[in-house]
Amino acid sequence: MATSQSSGSSPVTPTTSAVQIQNLHYSFGSGDLTKQVLFDINLTLPRGQIVIMTGPSGSGKTTLLTLIGALRTVHAGSLQVLGQEVVGLSRRKLVSVRRNIGFIFQAHNLFESLTAAQNVEMAVELKGQFGTKRSQAVEILDKLGLSDRVDYKPGSLSGGQKQRVAIARALVNHPLLILADEPTAALDKKSGRDVVTLMQKLAKEENHTILMVTHDNRILDVADRIINLVDGRLESDENLDTFVSTHDPKSLDRRMFIM
Amino acid sequence: MLSWWKRTPLAWLNLTHDRRKFATSMAGVGFAVLLMFLFTGFQNALYDSQVQLINRLNADIIIINRLKNNMFVPAAFARRRLYQAQALAGVQAAYPLYMSDVRWRNPVTRKTRPVRVLAFNLADPVLPLPGVTAHLEALKFPNTALIDTRARAEVGPREAGIQSELADRAIEIVGTFRLGTDFAAGNGNLIMSDQNFLRYFANRGPEEDERSFSTVDIGLVQVQPGVDVDEMVQALSAFLPNDVKVMRRLGPGNSFEAQERDYWRESTNIAFVFSLLTVMSFFVGIILVYQILYTDVADHWKEYATLKAMGYSNRFLLTVVMQEALILSVVGFIPGILVSRLLYTAASNAIGLVFLMTPARITHMYLAAFAMCLISGAIAVRKVQSTDPAEVFS
Ligand SMILES: Nc1ncnc2c1ncn2[C@@H]1O[C@H](COP(=O)(O)OP(=O)(O)O)[C@@H](O)[C@H]1O
Ligand SMILES: [Mg+2]
Repeated sequence: MATSQSSGSSPVTPTTSAVQIQNLHYSFGSGDLTKQVLFDINLTLPRGQIVIMTGPSGSGKTTLLTLIGALRTVHAGSLQVLGQEVVGLSRRKLVSVRRNIGFIFQAHNLFESLTAAQNVEMAVELKGQFGTKRSQAVEILDKLGLSDRVDYKPGSLSGGQKQRVAIARALVNHPLLILADEPTAALDKKSGRDVVTLMQKLAKEENHTILMVTHDNRILDVADRIINLVDGRLESDENLDTFVSTHDPKSLDRRMFIM
Repeated sequence: MLSWWKRTPLAWLNLTHDRRKFATSMAGVGFAVLLMFLFTGFQNALYDSQVQLINRLNADIIIINRLKNNMFVPAAFARRRLYQAQALAGVQAAYPLYMSDVRWRNPVTRKTRPVRVLAFNLADPVLPLPGVTAHLEALKFPNTALIDTRARAEVGPREAGIQSELADRAIEIVGTFRLGTDFAAGNGNLIMSDQNFLRYFANRGPEEDERSFSTVDIGLVQVQPGVDVDEMVQALSAFLPNDVKVMRRLGPGNSFEAQERDYWRESTNIAFVFSLLTVMSFFVGIILVYQILYTDVADHWKEYATLKAMGYSNRFLLTVVMQEALILSVVGFIPGILVSRLLYTAASNAIGLVFLMTPARITHMYLAAFAMCLISGAIAVRKVQSTDPAEVFS
């Protein structure tokens, strides 16, 4: 099941896909210490798709995410992000690719010294939109159900609220691509679920593409597609239809209720 | 990268978020500034104190014995040189100032201490200090003098009405003035009329120099309005015999003040010691500020990496750290200079030397504090630069 099986079997043009990866290899270290982590990855993420990536720990999920996020320099294969070839780009050019991507991490990584709004405004300032930064921040925080926490500092917010501020910061610039690495890992069941539902809602509203790494079976239902990475290789790639047909939907629902 | 004023003031907020840490940082930088102020203060006080008297003399040009290369040298010169000078066109007036070191008895402890007596014709405006002009009439009485309120405590009470002994003769203090002590002044200065000077110093016994009006310690020359002082110095030097030296009173180059400063600078190691201490304080400051900035970067490692992942450049983060350095230099300087002022006053009162905080010295000190923070910032910044944005995912 190593074949790339995107939502259609017809070739996808760069303008319609958010991410297009061909024959991507990646290794850490050099010389005798070289350790190859990703092997011959081929993957296309069409715009607007919500994709969940699963796989055992150490299989290379985070590494793949950092490559797609233009956080590392890549030398082999082809990796197009939002129509821009990332392989061979200089560090400086990588920075401008990142500005179109929303990152969400396991930890919220908010500045304790800034209020929720100010943390979000830091993202708006990247676009130079100083005049409207406050209203943009308030609007997105409102959408995430934080309208009464706008001027609170992270120290007086709950874990779920902090993660929602981090999501607001990732989404405020309407990025076409959102990369999330275990965004619910630090949250309890209820707030994890809430956070993901909000992400799904906002992504669907604005036709964002989401690639989310998670071990959390309870949230698989938000995905249009689920890919599985094992030992640096793409082992399975199922769209939701396939997923539903191979798993009894009722049992899936039931499983979600149990957890 | 422009329009910093529209941005979220991240540097300021990060520094001030933890109030207690901010206060500690402020105190740390302030302490380094205080140390630098203190050591440079002592160094400057040494020089400034030596020229206090010279600064107050009422003259454009000074004539002294060629051998007198600092105020300690007791060499006097013939008074007729002053008459010769006065005859030259462009000279308005020439006044003699007599000086002598002598034993003064502390009226309370009865111990004798060396002091310096300054004497001049009361009709000549030699030392127009407020205390002096107010007591000219009283000084006309025999065996009277004025005492410097800033003389050392060793001389006893520094106030009018004191009766004591000078060179084993009775003397009455009829008033006070304010000048300050230097190394050549012993424990302080007394001022008396030239007539009284003769009473005390004309017949001091076989061991001591006898003084008369025929020799002068310092000649004060005033030029007529509109006459160029430097040209007058040239003219007088050419005109007068070689046994005297003619120079401007103040200013850089060939001046009485510069000669005195240079003598102390070149003949003592004190300046070197204090310079060394100042430089050491500067480095202590660098280490302190580096600690503060490094801790900030280390504590916010993930957040800074996140900013990089979001698309902020290295330069932005460097600017944030440098802003923090700049803020620290300002907020540390303010308490530093305030406490320094208090200590300057206290030190000045205790030892009688002048501790001056001139605008130029304050500016230099701020620049030093700024450089201190800038250097620390530049070292700490390397830490931010090495932040790998991919690490936010780990
Ligand atoms: N910075 C790094 N340097 C060297 N090896 C790394 C680095 N980051 C990850 N690895 C290795 O790469 C492999 C994949 O790691 P990772 O992408 O974090 O896996 P996952 O996110 O699926 O748990 C692991 O074996 C890990 O030890
Ligand atoms: Mg991982």
